Amino acid sequence: MSLIQFEHVCKEYRQGTNVIHAADDVSFEIEKGEFVIILGPSGAGKSTVLNLLGGMDSVTHGAIYIDGEDITKYNENALTAYRRDAIGFVFQFYNLIPTLTALENVSLSKEVRRDALDPQATLAQVGLSEHINHFPSQLSGGEQQRVSIARAICKNPKLLLCDEPTGALDSETGILILALLQKMSREHRHTVVIVTHNSTLAPAADRVIKMRSGKIMSQLVNPAPVRIEDVRW
Amino acid sequence: MVMLRRKMLRDMKLNSTQFISIFLMALLGVLIYTGIQVNWVGMEREVNRYYEETDLADIWVISRYFTQDDVDRALALDHVVQAVRRLSIDGIADIPGRPTLRVHLLEEDRISRPYVVEGEIFDLSRKGVWLDASLGAAHNMKIGDTLAIEVAGTSFSLPILGLIHHPEFVHNVKDDTMMMPNPGDFGFAFVPKSAVENVGSFLYNQLLLTLNDQTDTDQMLEQIETLFPDRFILQLTRVTHPSVAVFQVEIEQQQAIGRIFPVVFFLIVVLSMFTTMIRMTVNQRSQIGILKAMGYSRGNILFHYISYGLWLGLMGGLLGLLAGPLIIPPILFNMQKAIYTLPNWYAVLSLPDFAAVFIVALCCGAASYLACRRELKEVPASALRPRPPKAGRHTRLEKSSLWRRLGFSTQWNIRDILRNNFRSLMAVAGVLGCTALLIFGLGLRDTLSRINQWMYEDLHLYESKIHLHHAVKEETLEALETIYKGQWILESPIQIRTLHRNETASIIILDKGEKIRFIDRQKKPIVLPGDGIGISYKMAALLNVSPGDAVEWRMFGKRDWHTSTIEMQYFAPIGQGIAMTKALYEQQTNSHFVPTALLSPSAAPDVEGNAAVSTVQRRSDLIQNLDALLENIEMIVIILILAAVLLGSVVLYNLGTLSFTERIRELATLKVLGFYPAQLEALLQKQNIWLTITGILLGLPAGYALLIFLLSTMPDSLDLPAIISVPSYGITILGTLALSMLINKILFGKIKDIDMVGSLKSIE
Repeated sequence: MSLIQFEHVCKEYRQGTNVIHAADDVSFEIEKGEFVIILGPSGAGKSTVLNLLGGMDSVTHGAIYIDGEDITKYNENALTAYRRDAIGFVFQFYNLIPTLTALENVSLSKEVRRDALDPQATLAQVGLSEHINHFPSQLSGGEQQRVSIARAICKNPKLLLCDEPTGALDSETGILILALLQKMSREHRHTVVIVTHNSTLAPAADRVIKMRSGKIMSQLVNPAPVRIEDVRW
Repeated sequence: MVMLRRKMLRDMKLNSTQFISIFLMALLGVLIYTGIQVNWVGMEREVNRYYEETDLADIWVISRYFTQDDVDRALALDHVVQAVRRLSIDGIADIPGRPTLRVHLLEEDRISRPYVVEGEIFDLSRKGVWLDASLGAAHNMKIGDTLAIEVAGTSFSLPILGLIHHPEFVHNVKDDTMMMPNPGDFGFAFVPKSAVENVGSFLYNQLLLTLNDQTDTDQMLEQIETLFPDRFILQLTRVTHPSVAVFQVEIEQQQAIGRIFPVVFFLIVVLSMFTTMIRMTVNQRSQIGILKAMGYSRGNILFHYISYGLWLGLMGGLLGLLAGPLIIPPILFNMQKAIYTLPNWYAVLSLPDFAAVFIVALCCGAASYLACRRELKEVPASALRPRPPKAGRHTRLEKSSLWRRLGFSTQWNIRDILRNNFRSLMAVAGVLGCTALLIFGLGLRDTLSRINQWMYEDLHLYESKIHLHHAVKEETLEALETIYKGQWILESPIQIRTLHRNETASIIILDKGEKIRFIDRQKKPIVLPGDGIGISYKMAALLNVSPGDAVEWRMFGKRDWHTSTIEMQYFAPIGQGIAMTKALYEQQTNSHFVPTALLSPSAAPDVEGNAAVSTVQRRSDLIQNLDALLENIEMIVIILILAAVLLGSVVLYNLGTLSFTERIRELATLKVLGFYPAQLEALLQKQNIWLTITGILLGLPAGYALLIFLLSTMPDSLDLPAIISVPSYGITILGTLALSMLINKILFGKIKDIDMVGSLKSIE
């Protein structure tokens, strides 16, 4: 059985009298250890799918199986536990706590998850062992995003979910960040799901899910993914 | 949650102005509350201990005489534990100044024992006198000195064996028109009966009783009344005994003050906490989102934000609990030592002090909870998106034609106030509190400093009051009058009653002359009628009578009740009772008018050595007595003014910074559009002035109400209408306005530094 199974998932938002279908009958599967890219223009429903997958939002109908368990049946406590133990998030704007240093931001993970990895070691893994006592405002965008990745993988999650992780970075830094994520996936068998509108990244993924207007347009498995560094931008 | 605690501390450091101000307010609220609380609890404990240690009487029966048989009959009553008789009589200490000495001759000392401060313990078998320690200090009398006492037409000399306090003289004054003790002029002494056996025979005029716990005092009073059908008796209980009652009122007054003032600070703390946390959580919306995404539970995050309030309240409260009992009691004790005599003065911590800290912390926590609840309701996904902007609503006002004529700055300010109605309300509340405290403090000073003017400029027009001994011969009176001129007056404590009420009061009976005037509530002079009595407003209120009604009264020491009709009401700031003319008195009571004092126009009558004269009170002494009281009040007024300024500036500065950060984008936009900083300043100052004036207008009546409340806690003998002078209004209004404008001026200093580009760009 697949690690992730989306079955006819719908998400509707009500805006005044209009109903917006942010996710419209979405079904797909993701295997354990895959490096997945969800592609699509802005407003396609990519982030909605990622949020539903991460237990950050509730479905209108449909089912989401993670390791065979339907998380749409979870109550708030179970969802919190799910986010705590199974999910690592990386966001476009890093979302670090500005009043905490790099190390302290990563240590937040250790506070909620008992079998988290060593924060200092994780920071070293993302190549930031020198700046661990800097506050986010003292770090460059790329460095901040690396702290954010360290914070996510420190929890040793089943799933690493990244929402436009390079959206706020210049392309060179972006490549470094994506290469880092790909490396994490390859070396540690992390399942990584990346949401992006940058289609040039597609060749690097094990699986590419294309979305538009809340619907899945195509889903393909790439038998021979290339390294991020080798993708032509 | 070590990381979250670090985050909290750094957030607090980042917003230190707000958090320090909240911390200070919590500190101040608890400081004042516990300071006053430990003060009166200490006083209450000490006075109770004092009463118990000295076996203070439960009932004082006063009459012309009591025999040994009377004592035995009283002892035979159920519930009476002890009964002793004694003589209490006013005499003169034959020392410079000739102070009045209330002399007590004791047969027994099982009840109301003297409390020896220095010298020998009180011993009934010794030949000597135990003297009021305060009077002794004022006249430099020492143990071993010989004191000559003139009393009831005779005199005796005895060595001073001890200096004492006495539980019946905690408020050590001659009568209830005196508020401050004057040890130079009045004191007391206790003498064993055996020491004056050879001087002459005295009648015991007081019977003191102690009761066991299983009885109702009022029932006892009735039983005792039936015990002495053959003579007039006056009974006092611990509720009506002047010294005991006044001290009890003092404790209750502190209780009342100690409750009302912290409430002001308390409300401000909670409101400040609430607004600060609202801003904090709004600004940290995405941080809340990320914590949720990481798997922090709702409870974790909730507790994180509640802990801001808890810690702040707890720290401020604990420091207040530490500082209050250290700072306030010494100040208050210093004031009270001038009025009351207790063996010891100490503060006592009690449960409510700790509860206050707990409550402050809890309320701050609750305010934080209410503030962050809104941000926590959302699902984590939407918490990570910026909050949709507040829908701009058009008010009905904006549709009217008037609106268009208002001009931009007025329109902008009206919208801003309506959109941020809570913040505006807070600003008004802060100004209100500041104004109320100021007007209260200044009004208290105005009111009390008016007493002197009323008493010794409007009402009492004599320069000195020559008190006479009892039973002075007619010829002596005539001789005195030819020398000193003036007006004769008879003053006496009375019992006054209607069908339903019964009060102790005083009577003034006036011979012809104009040394004592009467005024009404409007301070207009009125004349004492010849066909009926005048009654002071407060006494009329206490008895619930009005002109036309009849009251019954009898003089202390007399048996017969007289009925008089009230014809007039007069205003008496100190000393409540009734007044009548000599002619009416003689006609109604069928007795001869025997004056107790001569009101003389001469400031320094030379009465030294005149046998008829007991003491002389000079106007300057009386004024000084009240001035001493006022000096004490001055300190309270200063504390109140400081508190008001602190309250006003902290709240306004706090809200100023809050609104400033909230409006920074708007202000930057206006700046980009080409507004000069001075124009922006005028724009914001306008709103500030509106809110400040609203606060002042509401604060003035609030302060006035506070003053009336405080004056209503004063003892029954005082009738003080709230007076607030024009300068006090001026200082309060202009001071508050100036303070508010100054603080905004300081805040606007930041406008010049607004980085237009920067503040417009950062949308996060």
